[in-house]
Amino acid sequence: MNNLRRTFLKLATGTGAVAAAAALGLSASGAALAQATGSGKPLPDENVADTMKRLFGNRPIQPAGNRVKFEAPMIAENGAVVPVRVEVELPMASDDYVRNIYIISDKNRRPLNAQFMLTPEAGKASVGTNIRLASTTDVRAIAETSKGALYAVTREVKVTVGGCGG
Amino acid sequence: MSTGQVRMRVPEKVKAGEVVTVRALITHPMEIMAFKDGKPVEKNYDFIHKVEATYNGKKVFEAVTSQAVSQNPFVSFQVKVDVPGVVRIQFFDTQGKTYEGQAEIKF
Repeated sequence: MNNLRRTFLKLATGTGAVAAAAALGLSASGAALAQATGSGKPLPDENVADTMKRLFGNRPIQPAGNRVKFEAPMIAENGAVVPVRVEVELPMASDDYVRNIYIISDKNRRPLNAQFMLTPEAGKASVGTNIRLASTTDVRAIAETSKGALYAVTREVKVTVGGCGG
Repeated sequence: MSTGQVRMRVPEKVKAGEVVTVRALITHPMEIMAFKDGKPVEKNYDFIHKVEATYNGKKVFEAVTSQAVSQNPFVSFQVKVDVPGVVRIQFFDTQGKTYEGQAEIKF
């Protein structure tokens, strides 16, 4: 194992990860921090209302309208692999950019599937991943700007075979 | 399929100032929660929990991923490339392992 890898492992498992996470604006999200510090221990079930409260407090969340393009299938044949794409039509300037994109599935036992953190170097806030859905559910894509504005799009995804082993 | 194989895809040739899409995939089980008598089994589940990417050393993308991201996690993101260079990606799992991949952006 070379020195580069040793440094990365230290960052992933030690206090470096917590400091880095806080600097990236994750401080509002306790569970995200816990995951960033690398624990694979089970976290308790969470109601989506509590997830939203934990992530955003009482901050206003506006319907995204044309600002956020959220692609997710209407029907997912396989809940274990549901492709989602989020493209945000907002600037990526150094003083005003899309800092975070959250993917939240209401009916999952822990609704936050993933959180993406971007920098102005992205040029465009456009991310994609494949998520697991336990059952038919609303899925939310929420964009957060560096100025603290929140925009949400919600799509219902019907799931025929659940993707969380149940 | 062995765990930790990173594959990346970037466009063949790009122009200065273009915003390019980077796609990355890593083979990984993304172990899901096990239940016994209706309760979660307490153990250190093995899944990718963090992804970081840089372009020419500058951070351009990060993700915090949960067990609710699919097996063999796929991520895509965009990077504005003013100069040619290298996109480097790292996947961190909950067992303390780091997996790396890279792709060249050529003009």
